[in-house]
Amino acid sequence: MGAFFPLFSPGVLSHLSRLEVEARSRKSRPQQRSRVKELKAKVEALRLQRDRLKAEIETHKSLQKLRVSMDKQSAHEEEEEEEDEEEMDEDSENSQLLRLMARHTQLKDLLHAHHIIGGYNVIKTRQGKGVCVSLATAYDGVFLDTYNLEIDVKPTLRISRHNVPPFIPLNSLVEQSNMQTDIRSFLDTLSQHLNAFAGRKQQLKLVKELHKAVEVMESNVLCSILVMMFTVPGEKTAVLCTLDYTDHTRCLPTRVHFESEDKELPDSPEWKKNCSLLMETPVHKALIIMKKMGNIV
Amino acid sequence: MEKKRESQCLCFRMEEMSEENIEEVRVLEAQIERLQAEVSALQCQQQENHKDITFNLRGQMQNAMSYVCGQRQGGGKEKVLSKLKEEVEELEEDLKRQTQMNGISLNSCTKKTLQSGGSKLVQKFLLSGHCSELVFQVEFQLSEVKEGQGSERTISDLNVVMDAGDLQNFSGFLSGVEENRDLLLFFRTLRTFTDRCDDRCRTYQHFQEKYPSVVSLPGGCRSEVMNLNHPELPGCVLMVHWSVEVSREGRVTPKVDLLTKIPERALQLFPSQPVGGAAEAFQSLLRILGPEAAVESIIRAVGL
Repeated sequence: MGAFFPLFSPGVLSHLSRLEVEARSRKSRPQQRSRVKELKAKVEALRLQRDRLKAEIETHKSLQKLRVSMDKQSAHEEEEEEEDEEEMDEDSENSQLLRLMARHTQLKDLLHAHHIIGGYNVIKTRQGKGVCVSLATAYDGVFLDTYNLEIDVKPTLRISRHNVPPFIPLNSLVEQSNMQTDIRSFLDTLSQHLNAFAGRKQQLKLVKELHKAVEVMESNVLCSILVMMFTVPGEKTAVLCTLDYTDHTRCLPTRVHFESEDKELPDSPEWKKNCSLLMETPVHKALIIMKKMGNIV
Repeated sequence: MEKKRESQCLCFRMEEMSEENIEEVRVLEAQIERLQAEVSALQCQQQENHKDITFNLRGQMQNAMSYVCGQRQGGGKEKVLSKLKEEVEELEEDLKRQTQMNGISLNSCTKKTLQSGGSKLVQKFLLSGHCSELVFQVEFQLSEVKEGQGSERTISDLNVVMDAGDLQNFSGFLSGVEENRDLLLFFRTLRTFTDRCDDRCRTYQHFQEKYPSVVSLPGGCRSEVMNLNHPELPGCVLMVHWSVEVSREGRVTPKVDLLTKIPERALQLFPSQPVGGAAEAFQSLLRILGPEAAVESIIRAVGL
């Protein structure tokens, strides 16, 4: 909005007003000019930003499309690869780069998948003189502890460092499964032991959490023995239950034994059933069933 | 009068100029507002794209993306291409290593982010691949919840699809695995199972090559059956039945049996003990020598 300039003042006043106008315009002119410059620069910057965002989003779309077609090809290995080569010729300038980018994401995903399904994550260390592997454990859908081994490759395969607990017989497993000639067989066996241990440990944790009325009398670090005290509802009879897990590659017991003040109880049909139940079902789940059946408190 | 007009003209000019500027400023400001709205919308879309973890770009990938989007920094296309190629080759090498060590070949892995925000991330995975001759397709959901220093990861909705032909030994085990969401157990067991099947296949092939006139594999080397036919006694067949069983728990147990198919007449000609009792004798040999040596002994013992 312009200032109002007195147009009809005579003489001095008009001169003064002219001076006033000149003074004002001198102030606002550079201001307005630099403001315009500033705004024009901002418009340019925003245009650049917008164009770059658009390009990124378009590229993202192209990459997604490429990935989908590459995944389809890989999932059906038998089919011909050549068909899809032509599609990208529309933008052949960048198509090579885009294909490479899509392949990059595909490889990253495949490597991630190997890791998730319990792969050994083998990494070369010390310029090929060593190898690192990790062993993942899981039970009932929950990922548990991961164990790591550092193995020297030369002159022979030898475990140099690890965080496997001492009650897992690492050395005898090394000999048993012939680690020198078949490292995978060794890792598979070790993984079996570690996962079974993780499973038994998890079951014990769940027994303590979910079954407060059951008293855990005895357990060991390897979780290969578990002694619990049940209470029979009603008569409040106590039953001592011993679970032996002598096969350390398994999460289920090899022997179930009941002891009670009521000498007839262990031979009763319900408790014979409970015996088989505990042999075939993970203990924390078996206890839920036993509770439901009214056998234990 | 002149002066007045002069001052009037000057005043008009000043007003025009400032009006021009004012117009220009208005136009520019309007343009800026429109552009800001556009940029804002695009940034929203970019945010959504960034949530797609597959395209989380870092390092050489970030450089490549910048190049494609018009940011031509020093080096040009060749440099960007070669650096990215280098990185891709490293990844290919890594994948080969993992495939060899894990004994599992993955063909494709597609991930979809179902939920991401705050401390919880839920992704859906679809994997396909093969382990030796067995082809699989595995689908599952992986949830990652941040807890203090670490995070808890859980699997849910596990679904495993395998070739119908391979399913016979597996179906009980597979339904258990799906129920218990035991993703790791599935792959561990699959690998052990194929290892035992490969052992059998290798052994059968070895015997067929060594004793071609006696050994026949009616179902091929990947089948459970190997027949020993005496070249001079047609109708007398010793059948080695080697099955690999998988328990619900995931324990893989090879079971080798020797079955005899000998016509009555022949049995009368031979003292029944060594021939009729062949099956039990085989089991003892098996315990002492293992399957390969036990089979070899049978072949030799029958005078072949």
